[in-house]
Amino acid sequence: MLKIISLTTIVLLSSCSSMDSLYKKVLPKPSVVIIEDRIENTQENVIEADQSSFQSQRLSKNDVNTPNIAKLVVVEDFRNTGVSFVLYFPYDGTEIDETSTKQIIKHANFMRNNTTLNLRLEGHADERGTREYNLALGENRALSVKEILGLYDLSSRVEVISFGEEKPTLQKHDEDAWQKNRRVEFVYQ
Amino acid sequence: MKQLFVFVLSLYTSLTWAVLEVTILKQDEDAFPIVISDFSIIGDASQGKEIAHIMRDNFNRSGEFNASSANYVISNEPNFDKWKAKKIEAIVIGKLEKISKKVFNVEIELLDVYSKKTLYKDKFAVHNSGIRRIAHYLSDQIYHALLGEKGSFDTRLAYITVTNNDKGEREYSLEISDSDAQNPQTILKSKEPVLSPAWSPDQNRIAYVSFRNARSEVFIQYPFVRRKTQKLPYFDGIASAPSWHPNGKSLLLTLSKNGNKDIYSYQLTSKKLTRLTTDVGIDTEASYSPEGDKIVFTSNRSGQVQVYIKDLKTNKINKATFKGRYNAKAVFSPDGKSLAMVHREGKDYRIALLDIATKDLIIMTNNQLDESPFFSPNGGMIIFATNKGGSGVLSVVSILGRQTFELVSKVGEVREPNWSHYLKK
Repeated sequence: MLKIISLTTIVLLSSCSSMDSLYKKVLPKPSVVIIEDRIENTQENVIEADQSSFQSQRLSKNDVNTPNIAKLVVVEDFRNTGVSFVLYFPYDGTEIDETSTKQIIKHANFMRNNTTLNLRLEGHADERGTREYNLALGENRALSVKEILGLYDLSSRVEVISFGEEKPTLQKHDEDAWQKNRRVEFVYQ
Repeated sequence: MKQLFVFVLSLYTSLTWAVLEVTILKQDEDAFPIVISDFSIIGDASQGKEIAHIMRDNFNRSGEFNASSANYVISNEPNFDKWKAKKIEAIVIGKLEKISKKVFNVEIELLDVYSKKTLYKDKFAVHNSGIRRIAHYLSDQIYHALLGEKGSFDTRLAYITVTNNDKGEREYSLEISDSDAQNPQTILKSKEPVLSPAWSPDQNRIAYVSFRNARSEVFIQYPFVRRKTQKLPYFDGIASAPSWHPNGKSLLLTLSKNGNKDIYSYQLTSKKLTRLTTDVGIDTEASYSPEGDKIVFTSNRSGQVQVYIKDLKTNKINKATFKGRYNAKAVFSPDGKSLAMVHREGKDYRIALLDIATKDLIIMTNNQLDESPFFSPNGGMIIFATNKGGSGVLSVVSILGRQTFELVSKVGEVREPNWSHYLKK
């Protein structure tokens, strides 16, 4: 039993200035999402994964029909396409480079294809400098990601929070750790 | 002249965390040599040793004194010539007398070895629970009698500790202690980050930031009242960086409304919110001048992180820092003439002291990751957080440039120190 949901094409904002070309290149195609098909796929995955993957163990058979699990599966499938769920930033910077922009656009397309999903952007900073400034900086990093998603009319589905330097990925005190801790994480809900 | 000190410290907290370990880093050879004798005891009063011990530790920690005991209890008539030969300049003697089940008489006298004169003498009645307080209070009095300025002993610290529990989860706690890190009390524990503790001027409240609701919010805790927590109203956007007005009636906050981080003052009774900065950049880490007529704050409005002062009478904002590409989290000294701040020097973040009028900037430390500077209430010391061997510790530097002592947690990190005003009698 397949239920097919068609998404109407969303026309992009026509006035997105200098970044116009970049966005047009990846204009999302009108898409068809087969939600329950995915669930059935997952049920197979569960049987396989029960022996191996921690990620799928959460998808017990009882839960499989609940919408949250369906969402989770969609997100995991998206993650498996190799898209980045974490973007990194320069020291004291909130700028988003072209590589990161491309990743954000993949997320934008994904969100437009999956209209029940909401996104939380979690901004982080490295430990250098003061905690409260870093809290503000982390929020600005998440906001600059949200700004691009806003061009796709997704603002209302994107929540921004900042943990500043409080939740480092790596708890070391060197250049490598700092680089990995200056980040924005994508958390779908 | 007799005063009764009744300090009933009824802290309603069930959890007491480990005491921070105090390490004196440098003993100055020129430090003032003083002997603080154990007090003579009348009746069943074993606390006589404790008072002198607390006082000696206080004086040694200050970096200004080299305090020793006398190996025996010095009576009313010290042998001045003997102490002079040992190059001791002052002697403190005292008496502790039990006058009822829980009340003691404390007498103290400070004697100058060269003139053989009494420099300070006083007598108090003290409740049993006030023994530690009286030791700190007397330390302040003697410090004043010898140096002409107050000590910062009869005060408290607040700080955050971070530990890993048995499940490997991080646990944050808000702790308070006496100025010597003794008598620690856990005020709050959370699995989510807790930061920016700030004592209210009346020392009955601590404002802080918590992520318990998955976003940064400001709370006010009453550490001496059971389970009393006040959450500030829901602001449109995240709230952080609380700092008290000297009158204790309002707080400075950073609010991120529509993503724009600006400084606001929030009146606790009227709930009135006043916006104090409007720049599109980050404005945060604000605190008041001692008179409450100015605020100092961090801003990246110039493209660099620098410190600014806003005069609340003229509404003018002036840049305060001109040296270095990163200056942040400044606080006014108690006399309002200087700022302590985090200053980037090459790749290192250090504590610096800025003379506001002359713009002279002095780097006070030699570490890599210093933050959260805060003045002792007498302005003589700056406490700050730093990193030692990969873990967070607190350190104290005297304004004269000596890093004097360190406060280290044996079980985790300690950070974000905040020093209270003088306690009320």
